[in-house]
Amino acid sequence: MQSRKDMDPFNAIILAIFFPFVAALFVPFIEKGIKHRIGWFSAAIALISFILIGQVTHTVAEGHAIKQSITWLPSAGIEFGIYADGLSMMIGFIASGIGFIIMGYSNSYMSHKEDLPRYYKYLLLFMGSMIGMVFSSNLIQLFIFWELTSITSFMLIGYWRNKPASIYGATKSLLITVGGGLFMLAGFILLHSITGTFDIPTILQNPEIVQNLKVHPLFLITLILIVIGASAKSAQGPFYIWLPNAMEAPTPVSAFLHSATMVKAGIYLIARMHPIFSGTDAWFILVGGIGIFTMLLAGFLAFRQTDIKAILAYSTISQLAYMMTMYGYTSYHEPGIGVAAATFHLLNHAIFKACLFLVAGIVAHETATRDIRKLGGLRKEMPITFIIASIAALAMAGVPPLNGFLSKEMFYETSLEMGHILGGPFEVLIPAIAVMGGVFTFAYSIKLIDGIFLGKRQDHHLPQHVHEAPLTMLIPAAFLAVLVIFIGISPSTAVYYIIKPATAGILLEEVHLHVALWHGFTTSLMMTIATFLIGIAVYTKYDNIAAWQNRTNERIPWFSMNYVYDKIVDGAKSRAGDFAGCFQPGTIKTYINAMLLLFVILGTIPALMVAATLIPDNLNFNVPAYEVLILGLMIIAAIASAVLKKYLHAIIALSAVGYLVSLVFIYLKAPDLAMTQILVETLTTIIFLLVIVRVPQIFREKISRTTMAKDLVIASAVSLTVLILLLNATHEIVYPLESLSYYFVEKSLPLAGGHNIVNVIIVDFRGYDTLGEISVLCLAALGTYNLISSRGDKQ
Amino acid sequence: MTTLITKTVTKICIPLIILFSISLLLAGHNNPGGGFIGGVMFASVISLTYVVFGLKNVKSFFNPEWDKWFAFGLLLASMTAFAAIPFNHNFFRSAVELVHLPMFGEIELVSAALFDTGVYFVVIGSLLYIFKTLGEEK
Repeated sequence: MQSRKDMDPFNAIILAIFFPFVAALFVPFIEKGIKHRIGWFSAAIALISFILIGQVTHTVAEGHAIKQSITWLPSAGIEFGIYADGLSMMIGFIASGIGFIIMGYSNSYMSHKEDLPRYYKYLLLFMGSMIGMVFSSNLIQLFIFWELTSITSFMLIGYWRNKPASIYGATKSLLITVGGGLFMLAGFILLHSITGTFDIPTILQNPEIVQNLKVHPLFLITLILIVIGASAKSAQGPFYIWLPNAMEAPTPVSAFLHSATMVKAGIYLIARMHPIFSGTDAWFILVGGIGIFTMLLAGFLAFRQTDIKAILAYSTISQLAYMMTMYGYTSYHEPGIGVAAATFHLLNHAIFKACLFLVAGIVAHETATRDIRKLGGLRKEMPITFIIASIAALAMAGVPPLNGFLSKEMFYETSLEMGHILGGPFEVLIPAIAVMGGVFTFAYSIKLIDGIFLGKRQDHHLPQHVHEAPLTMLIPAAFLAVLVIFIGISPSTAVYYIIKPATAGILLEEVHLHVALWHGFTTSLMMTIATFLIGIAVYTKYDNIAAWQNRTNERIPWFSMNYVYDKIVDGAKSRAGDFAGCFQPGTIKTYINAMLLLFVILGTIPALMVAATLIPDNLNFNVPAYEVLILGLMIIAAIASAVLKKYLHAIIALSAVGYLVSLVFIYLKAPDLAMTQILVETLTTIIFLLVIVRVPQIFREKISRTTMAKDLVIASAVSLTVLILLLNATHEIVYPLESLSYYFVEKSLPLAGGHNIVNVIIVDFRGYDTLGEISVLCLAALGTYNLISSRGDKQ
Repeated sequence: MTTLITKTVTKICIPLIILFSISLLLAGHNNPGGGFIGGVMFASVISLTYVVFGLKNVKSFFNPEWDKWFAFGLLLASMTAFAAIPFNHNFFRSAVELVHLPMFGEIELVSAALFDTGVYFVVIGSLLYIFKTLGEEK
């Protein structure tokens, strides 16, 4: 490692972010060549990203954060920047490392008949967004990547498009996480208005800015908005409801997104914002409070679940809440009490929970069920899976010598410390709550092992002889299980290279961490022993508690967040229907009338306000004969298009008007306009004809006199407006400002190197507009397709 | 519409119009033309063949997936817009380069021309996609 010159860290990170994005573009093409082996290709991409992030480990472990940026929207203070410190490194490693393991595992898990390109494409896109998010130095850039992870997660939860449950789950996660993200954006904007910058390192490294922020009147609302965003993403507090439904995704996706990485984004944001907001009462009450509440609630609700993945989902929520709680532990004098513990738990949880999900995938793959009531006794048939699962579940339960034990001990220690600082009843209450959370975790962890592997099979429909999973599924899970033991027994490597830099990155100071398996008979060890004892006691009542929860739920169904969510969403749908109904009665004529009237109003008001006379006095009536001829023909054609009885004739008359207009353009020396006019006219005529062959060829509708009069008024008003606008177009009445065209005439050649000003405006000066316009054109094409094909469905 | 005369004229016109459409695209930066008009020109010649020979007949030997064309065009256009960022310029910054080639003399290379090519493909793709969808409707 040392002999070779490392890559420029900035380039390495940029590549690590964009390599998955670019690779995702090529997935469908490569899949044509290598078929189902596309999974290995994607895994290789993840490995490359992992190695690229590894290139900066040394620099960051030595305590130098990497900070570099490229201008993006300088006028708005938005840059594309990279900020790599220990925290972003750690999550970057988790995202790419677990990504590699998951994509390798998926090779066996996903049937070759599935739509594999779509699956791996979104996995890669997700991975790129996740890496991009943690290395973002700009809040707006962070927000963009943040929402990208939500969107890719939506795509992956809804991977099985035909299952209503997965669509429901995908929609729910999208609404909650993206909605939360919008709150977060509002928080970022407030943060910008307080601090004057979107740049994270600038805020972090200026103690004055942070001091000012903490006494600013907008401090609390900013914090609340950001915490809402983080909680929605990490399924905390009332927002937890999306995660259990997200389990409809393929299991590797759940392992990757919904336990190890995406749900950690909220925790990441909390950690990132920690130095900015912590050390205040508001931080402890909001972050710590949500954490404690969610930890107990989700841990308790896990009892009721019967699906392995649902149990894991609730346990993920509760484990994330541990981290929230620990990051929330703060005091004025010692803002970062729980930071090291939380960061360590973040890493440990990513490993053991991903491993448990992989086991859940193996079990479901081999037995075709995930229902814990039906399963049992698999330990004889699947001994290796049993061992792996036990290691991971016991790590979650906090049993020594596994990694979960270490961070759980640290959790207890920090809880004691926080309780001590708060004093009074809290001195006992906070540690007691922590132990309670541990008890629930212990109970459902044991339930997982007991329900799947011990005892006897409960359902006779299940296959009698289950065999061990293929190696491609076992090895990833086994690898994670080995990591669980390795970090547990010898934590110093992980602590030195990952936890210490990450903690230093959050606290912005040197940290001295010593983590060891054995540190004497401390109070926290007593708490652990108490946890196990109470945990065993609770476990004997496990089924009773679950039954009680079910009964309560049946008795008071409205006492649940899901009920509230469903009511809101259904209500929003019907309200939206009513609202749209007001504005969209469905007849094209209404829309056109509305548009034309608006045009008349918007066109005449400014003219009336500015103009001295509506008809300028310098009009030139000296029109050549051929122009009179063309105009005469145009009038005849226009009248014909209105009075002709058959559609076909009317359309041809209408297109005659168009062609005559192009003639006028030619006389006015505008050849490109004339050409465009001719071509567009041709195409619209053809499209018109295509549509018209499907409707009756003659106007059958009887038009009443009042309608006719109304139409006449509207038509005359519109033509009068156009006349006024045209007459004044060259006058200063309508455009009191200086004409823009001089600028373009002057600058077209020197700035853009083109002589054709119209074209230069389209592709260069106003390129952004054009990009928007062609996007609209694409959407119009897709919209036409949808309209036509959905009409076919109904008949 | 499908008389022998129209058929023959169409056959002769197709290559000419396609060439003209490409020349409009390439000339666009300095002379009348550009991606939009070139694209519309291309779309109109294809629609002419659809009308003259019948959509079904044309589809049997020439049936590109137009949706891919506009997808490609949009991708190309947005990539050109983003391409300035890695070179540490603003989004959408364009570049001009004069190149000497032995046979052609001095040629002006503009990054905006690539963007225009994107527009060209979007226009062709979306127009013909709409066209085909309407024509195929039962």
